Amino acid sequence: MTDTSERYQRQLPLIGETGQERLSTSRVLIAGAGGLGTTIATFLTVAGIGFIRIVDEDTIERNNLNRQILYREPDRGERKAEIARQRLVEINPEIEVQALCTHIDDQSIGGMVRGMDIIMDGMDNFSTRYVLNRAALRQKIPFIHGAVNGFYGQVTSIIPGKSPCLRCIVPHPPSADKVPIIGVTCGVIGSIQVTEAIKYLTGRGDILTGRLLLWDGFRGDAAIINVVNEPDCSECTGEWAGERG
Amino acid sequence: MKISIRVFASLRDFMVPSLELNLLPGATVGALLVELCRMYPPLDTAIFQSPGTVREFVNILKNGRNIHFLDGLVTALQEGDVIAIFPPVGGG
Ligand SMILES: [Zn+2]
Repeated sequence: MTDTSERYQRQLPLIGETGQERLSTSRVLIAGAGGLGTTIATFLTVAGIGFIRIVDEDTIERNNLNRQILYREPDRGERKAEIARQRLVEINPEIEVQALCTHIDDQSIGGMVRGMDIIMDGMDNFSTRYVLNRAALRQKIPFIHGAVNGFYGQVTSIIPGKSPCLRCIVPHPPSADKVPIIGVTCGVIGSIQVTEAIKYLTGRGDILTGRLLLWDGFRGDAAIINVVNEPDCSECTGEWAGERG
Repeated sequence: MKISIRVFASLRDFMVPSLELNLLPGATVGALLVELCRMYPPLDTAIFQSPGTVREFVNILKNGRNIHFLDGLVTALQEGDVIAIFPPVGGG
């Protein structure tokens, strides 16, 4: 048995050699290396995603450490994306990780997403999420949205051409104030986002397209709301509304 | 007519997560919200910014469509409609 097939031995019954091969040739952008981003990065890495580009402009602070699981006390002051990269390739030396310590906006995002198979939402604000949403629509790349606040979280998979976009679902963002945040909720939501990515990349299972999953950890409850394309959406201009079921 | 209501996240601090209401034919989303606030008074300030104006980030979906893209609070309700009210979360 090669090192590679041994590493993935326990997941091969789920996704097969072909599925594993697909993961190893996939390129994924993780926008943000915070609570969601570090969870997402960890599980993409152990699953064997071949190329990860992780983007974050911030440095590590002590108050990040309750949830940003790739960082340690002595990392304070270091750049998040770079430390994340070092830890990820330690965990899985078979993958390639690129760190970008860059601000994400409408100008910078184009080059970041080009050639990527999926965009993972690890942001902490909706204005940048709308930037990711626009880039996903423009370049027709799936965008796996996740967000948290306290014990609550939400996930949906935006597949251009098949699902409503983020702006169809959330035309008005919540305020950009700092919200209470705890590691376990980032763990739950980030893990669901990676589950979505693995299903999409391997062509298995049912993806959360046109469905918003709402997690309530406080009450131990998960619910799904079906959502549809909006002809009057300012971002996708209802481009796909004709496909409404 | 019977309308199903589901609320999410912090709104669950003020009312039950889901219920069914019997409203008069022709009722609007606005009338439904007023009725909910009558039943659960603390909900009022969580949903409304001022009388008749819903806080912008409180998303209200009628059968999966945000009423922002329909007729807002005067969106008409029909028998069997499902109304979901959620304040989206935004942290990461
Ligand atoms: Zn849209």
